[in-house]
This record gives sequence, structure tokens and C-alpha cells, in this order.
Amino acid sequence: MKWRLACLFLLVVAACAEDATAPGDCPNFCPSDSIGINDTIFTTIIERDSSYRGYLPSYFAEAMTAADVPGVIDSRAFFTTDTMFTRVTPIVGDTTTVPISVDSARVRFVIVRRPKNTTNLRLRLYQIPVTADSTSDFSSLDPAFIAAPVDSLNVNDLLALPAIGDTQTVRLWGDSIRVDADGHVLQINRLDSTLAVYFNLDTLQAPLSVADTGRIGWGVRVAADSFASVTLGTIQSGANAPLMRWFFHYTIPDTVSATPDSVVYADRAVATRFDNFVFNPPTPPLDTNLAVGGVPSARTLLRVAMPAFLHDSIDVVRATLILVPVSAVQGVPSDSFGILGRPVITDLGGKSPLGTNVSLYGRTFIHIGSADTVNIELTNLVRAWSLDTTLVTAFVLGQVPEATSYTEVRFYSSRAPAFRPGLRVTYVKRFRFGNP
Amino acid sequence: MTLRLVVLVVLTLLAAVRPSGRLAAQDSQFGIRGLGTPGKWESVRARTTGGAFAPFDAFSPLTDAVLADVRRMSASFTSGTSWRSIDASGTQSSLRGTRFPAMVIAGPVTSRVVVGGGFTTYLDRTFGVVIHDTIDLRGVQQPITDEITSDGAVSDLRIAVAARLHRRLALGLGLHRLTGSTRVIATRSFADTLNYRPSTARDEVAYGGMGGSASLLYDVTSDVRVAGWFRSDSKLRADIGGHTAAENDLPLTYGAGLQWRAGAQASLAGTVTWRNWAGVRSIANAHDTFNWSVGTEIGPPGSPFRVGLRGGQLPFGIGKTPTEVGYSAGLGRQFSGGRGRLDIGIERLQRSGTGLTERVWTFLLGLTVRP
Repeated sequence: MKWRLACLFLLVVAACAEDATAPGDCPNFCPSDSIGINDTIFTTIIERDSSYRGYLPSYFAEAMTAADVPGVIDSRAFFTTDTMFTRVTPIVGDTTTVPISVDSARVRFVIVRRPKNTTNLRLRLYQIPVTADSTSDFSSLDPAFIAAPVDSLNVNDLLALPAIGDTQTVRLWGDSIRVDADGHVLQINRLDSTLAVYFNLDTLQAPLSVADTGRIGWGVRVAADSFASVTLGTIQSGANAPLMRWFFHYTIPDTVSATPDSVVYADRAVATRFDNFVFNPPTPPLDTNLAVGGVPSARTLLRVAMPAFLHDSIDVVRATLILVPVSAVQGVPSDSFGILGRPVITDLGGKSPLGTNVSLYGRTFIHIGSADTVNIELTNLVRAWSLDTTLVTAFVLGQVPEATSYTEVRFYSSRAPAFRPGLRVTYVKRFRFGNP
Repeated sequence: MTLRLVVLVVLTLLAAVRPSGRLAAQDSQFGIRGLGTPGKWESVRARTTGGAFAPFDAFSPLTDAVLADVRRMSASFTSGTSWRSIDASGTQSSLRGTRFPAMVIAGPVTSRVVVGGGFTTYLDRTFGVVIHDTIDLRGVQQPITDEITSDGAVSDLRIAVAARLHRRLALGLGLHRLTGSTRVIATRSFADTLNYRPSTARDEVAYGGMGGSASLLYDVTSDVRVAGWFRSDSKLRADIGGHTAAENDLPLTYGAGLQWRAGAQASLAGTVTWRNWAGVRSIANAHDTFNWSVGTEIGPPGSPFRVGLRGGQLPFGIGKTPTEVGYSAGLGRQFSGGRGRLDIGIERLQRSGTGLTERVWTFLLGLTVRP
């Protein structure tokens, strides 16, 4: 009997799984109410919108752009190096120093973005004054950039060359490289497809100036058959920063060495002291429109007057910000950029602190040459506002990454009634429970 | 087998299915557009006789007068596990669920008066429907899936008193408190999960109402009993968040039954019941119902065999009144010197209405203890 009871017990427990959901045969065998959905464009919901400039200067950006589009933009990147020693101590612990003799130098740039559909993409290297700093502008550096270039390399030609991947090369460079007849080197980063290009310079091209304590400045212009634009890594990008390496030798006198008059060959990478880019024409000043991008970077603050019914009795399933560009952004297609919408924690105008909850961010991409209406999905943000009435219903639009390029987009503001920003909200009405 | 072991099994089952949310009877898709699916106020013993023995079984919460037969403090639990197949306009689906539709506890106060109570399911409100559709959103045809679920029931808490007015006549009166709740969820999800977030609305609907019942049990002879009963309820109130969302009329219930003891090891019974559900004016497709049942119990009182047949109507459904036909059979077994009884049974139901047919197998398990 105990066995029978145990079997019965197991049978009933096994049957306890619940499954009460079946395909609905509506309307006859479904609840009388249904899930209703509405889609509304709120044309006047965005108000008190403003733009502010000065958030990030170009010399703090994580990249710098060199571009040359006649009639549109001429952008030039540059950097200066730290000091270089001129004497070395050949023996550790000894106070005797000997002078170094520079043999050559190598200048590296990392191309983090480039047009893939162009030909003859060339980088031209110019020596610029070591005094170049944040006050330098396009015109002050123009004499250096219109002089004869120190060197030039062709990125497309280098990419077309076969990779050299012998063990000795890989030991020295860490990976395979491509080398042209002039000694320019190109290395492809397998992780992010960035290109590291190296200029090999002799002492005439890269003289070590004792008067400048070994500091030197280099600038880059770009040229191509079309779409001449590259974006280069900066100090802020970490490993992609421009790099200068000096190669030198010195002689160890026989009075201090067991090996008389031996010659030592060495090299030293000097830190990048400053990097930046300048361009012409400069970013135009702010006007009544909404600006996003440019240098220094501009952001736009948009405040949303949420209707009461969006706070209760509905569930937002999609919310899209609609922005009408004043005009298409000019430039090179590869300089298309992203826009990020971030909520503000508290509304302090241009100095409003931004929220860090990335799930609330909205993002889109601005394509160069396109004047199409821009849509930014802000569903999570509007849902959060709908659920929590204490949140500040405002957000900031900014370029990503900021201040890395000449590009800036301008949208019509709420001052332009026909083209003002709008918010398109798709929402589900609350289901009426309690009725059959 | 010991009484302790049986009690342990039942308690384990109760824990396994979280009875707080499943004190319901059999669900039916016919109840979705109505107030729910009316419960069966029957013990396993009565249910395996098609419900015919319910007015003569003290542990069926159908009538109150029969409590007068209880001579010792006793309690009875009923559980049922159902496998339901649905054919809705050609769409087939299979569902299952476990329910605890009835519990009765009763004991004599004096030699003539017995007090009892317990719960049963008044209306089952457990269902779920999934609806696939395509709608136009922002000029794009967007596939969507709606899922609307309701989990819970309107329970009937009863306190009753039965008095033997005469050697052959017993009168029962009951006071009913309708209570319970349903957890309801409506979810819409979109095929385009990149742009559209799913929407989920949840709530809890609390039900409330009162009712009263009266019944008579008359022994015509030592072998023949007749029973009659009547019940009336107030409006059923549905509250959400403390606010009344709906108030619906509830039907009058009345019925009669006849039982014949054909010797020491055989009994036959039959019942008829009417309920005027059409009086629920807020429901468009509500129908009055008439239900009947016949059944027999054969064998020694310690281990009888039961069989029954039922038929009748369901209160909610479009078009003509949906019908229900059922067959059931079961066994009972006393143990521990008659201090406990285990009843098992199997029931087959077929419900038919315009556009929908349901077929249900239910395994029934009941336990009665007299500590």
C-alpha cells in the first residue's frame, strides 16, 4: 500500500506543472479589453532648447583630423615632442658623460580612421615650430605647412605591398610590417584595424637642435585623389599617440671602458609634449539653431515638457527624437560622426551634470552630405521619465567623440516653428483589468 | 499505511502547488468572456458520482443541511489535476493545472446541531491567452504578440450550521463570504525588439461579495432521501488598488436531489440544479443554466466503487448556451479503523459551444480524516 501511495504521490507531483495559456481565439474567447497602442508626434514638447560651446578643446580630444577638401575644409594635425638629451653616461655609477651623435629618427602616427574608398592617400610630414601650443591657430602655423614637406608616404601604396613577417621582423616590430622603397613602414593592428605609419628621417630631415633642448615639432597634411581625410590618435587615446624616436650612437673612451673606443648604438623614444589640429574655416559661432560638435565642442540642451498622461496610465514602448538639420554637414564621408543623447541629473543649463546610466543614452549617426531628418531613439530615457516623475526631463546632445574633427551639425531649434524638434512616442494604453 | 503518512502526502501536495494562488476549480476558455468558470462544489466522492451525491455528502460544500449527518469532528480535502485540450476554431492546444477546489471541516456542537465551514471555488479566473497579430506602426507592418494572463479565483468561504429538526428532517443555513483575487498581467511584445520595448501591465484584482444559503434534507423512508437547496449572493465587486472596477450580479441557485439506498452496498442518486446567470446583466453572453447528474456507489462502505454521469450547461459563451457532459468513476478506501478515507477518481468532461470545444481529463484525489 505504501508503494501505491508513493506512486500516487509522484504522479500528482509530476502533474503539478501549470500551463494555462493557450492561443487566443479573439474576440469570442479573449478578454473584452485589448492592448491598445497609440503613436503620437509631440511637436511642441521640446522647449527651452539651447546650445553651448567650450566643453572640450581639440587638444584634449582623443583624436585629431587631417583633411583637405578644397572649398570645404583644410585641417592639419601636429605635435611637439619633449626634450632629448645630448650626452649620456656610458657606465652606470660613473659621472663621466659623452656626447651622442644622432643617426636618424622615426616619427609614428596611428591612423584610427581613414576613407576606405580613396586612392593615393598620402601623408605629408612638415616640421613646425617647437613653440606650437594651444594658442597656435591655422594662420600662425600656415607658414610651416606651406613649406616643402620633410617627407611624404603613400598609405595606399604601403597597403598594397606584401607583408614582411619573418621571425626577425616580428621580433623587432611585434608583428608583420610593410616597407616601401623609401623606408616608410606600415603596420596593421590586428585588433582594431588601425594603421601605424612610420616616417624614417635622416639627420637632415630631423636635426637634433641643442638650442631647442632636442624638442621638435611635426605636422601632417593629407592628400588624396578624393576624400582626403584621416584621423590620427592623440595622447588622450593612449597607445595611439604620435611618437618620435631618436636613433643615435656614442663612443666609450678607453679610459673608462674595458673595450677601448667601443661604439654603442641606442635609441630613445621621446614623449609627446602636445598635440592638436587646426583647420580652416573655423567652426562658426553659435546662432539660434542647435549646434552639436565642432571645435571646441558644442552641445545642445533640450528640455522636454512631459504631458501628464505620459506619466501615468500608459507604457512607452518607443520614443524617437526628431531633429531637422539646417543643412547637410560638409566634408569627407569617412568623417561621419555619432551623436549621443544623455540625460541630465539636474538642470543647470550648460553646466548640467550628465547622467552616467548608459542604458538611458540614445545615439545615432550623422552622415556627411545628408540633410535628412535625424531620428534618435530615446525609448529608455522617456520610459524612465514616465515611471519616475522626480527625474529631470532634459537631455544633452553631444558629438562622440568630441572635438576630434571639424565636423559640426546644426538643427533647427524650437524658435523655428516649422522645423522645431519633436518627440514621437509610441505608447500602450493601460489595460482595463477587472472587467470580464 | 498510517494516517500520518497520508496527511504528510497531502501537506506535501499543498506545498508543491502553492495553494494560495490555486484554490480554484477547472478552468475553461468559456469563462474568459464571463465572470469565470463556476466551480464544482463537490468532494471527490460526490464528483466521481457525477455530482449526484453532492447534496447527500457532508463534505461537499453544495448544501448545508447534510452537515447534520456529521457525528464527529471531520475534515476533507479535495484536489484535482486536469489535462485540458482545446479546439478553438481549428486551433488546438493542450493545458494542464492542479487545483484544490474544496475543503470542508465540520463537527457537532450538540447532538442535534452541527457547525461546519471551509472553502470552495465560486468562480475560477485562471486563464491565459496568446494573440499574434500584425499592426501598422509608424507606417511599418509590425508583428506583435499579446499575452494576457489571469491567475486566481473567487473563493467561497462558508460557515454553516445544520440542525436536525426531526428524526427525518434536517435544516441547514450557510453564510458565504466571496473573496479572493487574481493576479493579472497583460504583455505586448514586438518582433522588432531593437526599436520597441515590450509593455507589461500588472495588477491584482480583489473580489468581494456576500451570500446566504438554505437547504433541507428529508428522509422519506429509511432508504430514500430528498434534498432541496437555495442560494442567493450579493453583487460581486472587483476592486483594483482599493477602487471598485466592476460590480456584477450573481445568480440565484436552487436545486433538488434524490437518493435511494438499494441495500447495504448500493446507492443511487440524482440531482438537478438551476442558476439564473442570465441575470448578470453586465455580461453580454450570459445564459441561465440547468445541470443534472446521476450516479451510484456500489460496494462495502469501506471500499466502495463509484460511477456517475453529468450533463448541463455553462453560463458564458457566444451564441447558444455551451453544454457540458461528463463521465466519472472512482474508488474509496477507509483506513486507520475508519478514521481516514482516501478517495481517488477520474473524470472526463466535454464542453461544447459555438467555436470552441474542450475535453478535460481530471485526476481527483480526496482525503477525509476524523481525528
